Amino acid sequence: MLKLAWKYMRYYKSQTLAIFMSILLTAALLSGISSLMYSSQKNDLANSKTIYGDWHYYVETDAKQLQAIENGERLGRSSQDGQPGQNGETKQGRKTRQGRQSGGGYRLRRYGKYEIRDVVSEEFPIYFIHADETYRQMAHRDLLKGTLPSKEDEIAADSFVLDNLGFSGNPGDSVRIGERNFVVTGILKSRWAADSGEMEIFVSGDFTGRGSQTFLYLGFDEDEKLYRQLDAFLGKYKISSDAVRGNDGVIQYLGGEEPAGIFEIVKFGLTEEEGNFTYIVLKLQSDYNLAYNGMIFLLCLLGSFVVYSVFSISVEKRTSEYGMLKTLGISGGQICGTLILELWTLFLVGYPFGCFLGNGVLSLVYQKFAGVFGGKGTGMAERGLSAADQTLAEGTDAMRFCLSWEAMRFGFVFLLISLAAAALLVVRSLSGRSLKEVMSGDTSFTRRRKIYALRPVNMAGVVVRKFMFANKKKVAGILLSLSVGGCIFLCTTYMAENLKVHAELSLKSDDGLGSEYRVSLKSGSLYDTIPEAAADTIRSMPEAKQVYATRFTFGEVSHVDELEWDTYFEYENADDYFIRRYGGICLPQEDGTYRIKYDVYGYDDEMIEQLDGFTLEGAADPDVLRSGNKIIAVALMDGQGNYYFYGKKPGDTITLRVPRMDAYTDELLRFESGEENYIEKEFEIAAIVSRPLAREEGFLQQGFYKDTLMTSLIMTNDQMEENFGITDYSFINASPAEGADTEKVSSEILEVIRDVPKAVLQDYTAAIRTRKNYLRQQQIFFSSVAAILLAISLFHIANSMNHTILARRREYGIIRAMGITDSGFYKMILQTGILYGVLADVCIFLLYQFVFRRVMDYYMAHVLQFLHLTADVPNQVLLGIMALNVAIAVLAVMAPARKLVRGNIISEITR
Amino acid sequence: MSILELQNVAKVYGRAENQVIALRDINLQVEEGEFAAIVGTSGSGKSTLLNLIGGLDYPTEGKIFIRSRETGSLSRKELTLFRRRNIGFVFQNYSLMPVLNVYDNVALPVTFDRGRHINRKYIEELLRELGIWEKRKKYPGELSGGQQQRVAIARALVNKPQVLLCDEPTGNLDSATTVEVMGLLKASCRKYKQTILMVTHNEAIAQTCDRVIHIEDGQIVTGKRRFPAKGGDGVC
Repeated sequence: MLKLAWKYMRYYKSQTLAIFMSILLTAALLSGISSLMYSSQKNDLANSKTIYGDWHYYVETDAKQLQAIENGERLGRSSQDGQPGQNGETKQGRKTRQGRQSGGGYRLRRYGKYEIRDVVSEEFPIYFIHADETYRQMAHRDLLKGTLPSKEDEIAADSFVLDNLGFSGNPGDSVRIGERNFVVTGILKSRWAADSGEMEIFVSGDFTGRGSQTFLYLGFDEDEKLYRQLDAFLGKYKISSDAVRGNDGVIQYLGGEEPAGIFEIVKFGLTEEEGNFTYIVLKLQSDYNLAYNGMIFLLCLLGSFVVYSVFSISVEKRTSEYGMLKTLGISGGQICGTLILELWTLFLVGYPFGCFLGNGVLSLVYQKFAGVFGGKGTGMAERGLSAADQTLAEGTDAMRFCLSWEAMRFGFVFLLISLAAAALLVVRSLSGRSLKEVMSGDTSFTRRRKIYALRPVNMAGVVVRKFMFANKKKVAGILLSLSVGGCIFLCTTYMAENLKVHAELSLKSDDGLGSEYRVSLKSGSLYDTIPEAAADTIRSMPEAKQVYATRFTFGEVSHVDELEWDTYFEYENADDYFIRRYGGICLPQEDGTYRIKYDVYGYDDEMIEQLDGFTLEGAADPDVLRSGNKIIAVALMDGQGNYYFYGKKPGDTITLRVPRMDAYTDELLRFESGEENYIEKEFEIAAIVSRPLAREEGFLQQGFYKDTLMTSLIMTNDQMEENFGITDYSFINASPAEGADTEKVSSEILEVIRDVPKAVLQDYTAAIRTRKNYLRQQQIFFSSVAAILLAISLFHIANSMNHTILARRREYGIIRAMGITDSGFYKMILQTGILYGVLADVCIFLLYQFVFRRVMDYYMAHVLQFLHLTADVPNQVLLGIMALNVAIAVLAVMAPARKLVRGNIISEITR
Repeated sequence: MSILELQNVAKVYGRAENQVIALRDINLQVEEGEFAAIVGTSGSGKSTLLNLIGGLDYPTEGKIFIRSRETGSLSRKELTLFRRRNIGFVFQNYSLMPVLNVYDNVALPVTFDRGRHINRKYIEELLRELGIWEKRKKYPGELSGGQQQRVAIARALVNKPQVLLCDEPTGNLDSATTVEVMGLLKASCRKYKQTILMVTHNEAIAQTCDRVIHIEDGQIVTGKRRFPAKGGDGVC
């Protein structure tokens, strides 16, 4: 059999090459894209560790419990340290025992202590922390300059904190915090988010504060599932699971939580009221890494489909020979064995080469476009990080390309089995026909009892159509396979276009119009504001442009009578901080209505106009808002990308109450004081939008809720003044003018706000530049992936067309013998190519427009949660793909046609 | 009057060591209306000779004249047109288009030459005469060998060619059908005043023709003409 397989491979060189190329390209695509995604996830993990810290869980603990843990772990370690090498133990034996000894079911790689000894909130909320070396390593709080504090009045902190405390920059100098002076001994590396709510000051063990709250940060072995190790750890030290908080940004990649069973997920999604298809997709994504594993599976499927298609076309040519072999008494099993051997031989050579090629090319692409990867495009909202914050945190370090051995192994096994199945299918199709049929080639076509020549007709055209549609199933299969590549290309382009829009909108909504500078207040009080004069000064700076100053107040929307999403505010309502400060977020009333806390923004006209990109309903027009005293509402969004605003539409009204500023105290934020302390007004809704732009960071959007709780109302700055008498600002966004010295602009703004209490400046210049570069690279990456897919698709089209023509070479020989001229013959073939191309285009258009696009819309809106799906595949791209399809189909048929014309008619018809 | 003349025609396949001389120094004249059989053993070059005459292949040396026109001087397109209008082919394996029914198979060559102007009356006459009118909607795969060869003959005749070249037209047929097909060819030859060159390796069939041309090792063997150029009603 091996000899026969080898003979076939050598005899049918072009077919062998086509199959080999399809295997090679499939392997390249599969391994390359999988490694790319794997690298992306690996780097996501590395980035998440940089951002959130290299730890998995923390537990709040007390001195006694801490002592017990320390003793327990020390014991475990000392026994491990003493054992290796003793009694000639094997490495494996030691490893097993280590795991058992360090706690039975877990391996604690390291743990760090973090103790809050005092909090001062006079100027900014400042935490006095005493932490050990391990914690500082875990949190990436490395010492950059100076030394660590060793005396009671010594401190170390990062430059962001120290700058805002007015520190000179030289270790040894002192700063005043609250009532005390401290000597700054060292400067630490900044936290990932320079503007995070808490400012940390590191103190020595001698520092005595007003209290002590201790946390233990845990880092387990990442080769094992974390949730199992945590359970074992908690069990050993009898710690309640309520005391544990996970580092979600990190543990999501490492099995930090026990996954639900696939059957349970699907069952819940289909049978429970809360479940739906999106739930299934999202849950599978979080528990089973659906995007990665699904992509590997789809690529394997696409690859085996392409290889099968190429293979079956190639084998068709030899159908009669297999028929002859059968007449000679060779069994179907032996023929199948020959085919499998042939395919596997090619596969064993092609697959490693393909993997080498795919990984090689894409590792180069990866290094060149490092910014594309590492989750820098989507998913920031879920992590509670703005695009700019994340960029700041991640920096621009080059990332590592990791090989996805798992995908390559899976692909190898999958394709090996698929190829055997392909051979089996071919043999099955042979056995379904009689020997005579097999020997005489393809005779399966629809026989219509119609005489075409009875009417004036172009018989060449009839022959072309007859050839094409002789077997409808076959032609449907060919057209479908021809369309797949084009559809994937269009889908990728569609996603890339929308990703671009999403990224731009995210950047705008995250930090306010993607501005390089943001002046904000480290305060949770409406009393603190930026004076109008300061805003005017920044506006008048020649080197600053697009200066957007935002007025802000905190309000309550009353008389909300419909709350279809009754569990939407469940967590916020249970949050201690919100209850203590605001008396809750969404409060049900006796009359069945609700009162809901809201951020109320006053935007510049230009900012309101820029809300247009986020509009779900109505129109964001500042003049309309002013003239009709209307308001823009930000809709609530659920975890599946659905929007909702209490069933209200533009034209409906809402009642808004805000505290009066003349007798303001923070107590008024609870909205429980006398009516005389509030201003209540009714506003008509002009538009409903999906996101606000520049956002506060001290009221509702705190910490965990930074990007999730966006109950916001927007009006013009003029309306804020007229309705509520607010003239000062809460934050200002600005950009440097073209060609301006950004550092100079930064120091000028700092100068302006120096005398504004609690005002801080965040400089996103580098972050925005990096982000824009990422965005550009993302576009290039997606286009490259689309181009690779298109190239494979075009190769497939060319191969299919080529074989479609060559499969009919005897018939074409007869036609030529009947006296068709060369030009007539070329016209006939051209007609075939055009017809195939056009039909494939129609197929692509219908599949894309009515199937794939809708699936993509759903995926982008509900799974990826893109802000707005406003972008479409550009018409030029759409038309280009269609023209390219026709051109490739034409070229692909003309090449064999030329071969036929050059060939001898007699040898063609005697085939 | 001679309708076909071959002068010193030779055909060589391959080069150097692989060279095979299929035909050498062929000189032949065929009169108008003559029904000639080309006989020879397998590999003697008879089919090659027929293909050269039909313009389906090119001679390595020599000239071929059909109706006084040298086919070698014609361009590819002129040769195709000339072949279409003057020569009809009947092959041993019928060479019918499997996706077309009987009628459309027969009409196919006409559409190449006359576009959409098909003489349907003539096609009907042909099909009736050949006894396959009732089968006009059938596909080749649904016909017997004899019926398929009748369709092939009808297709060869549909352009009313001056010369009909038949390559072992009865090679796949049983003896009764062979007699039928030969009768049809002879009748056609008489009715349409056509010249027929028929390749066969069957001496008995050849003997029913006006003239028998023997080929051996790529050369015409002279001195074996046993029948007068005209006549030969032995079979019909």
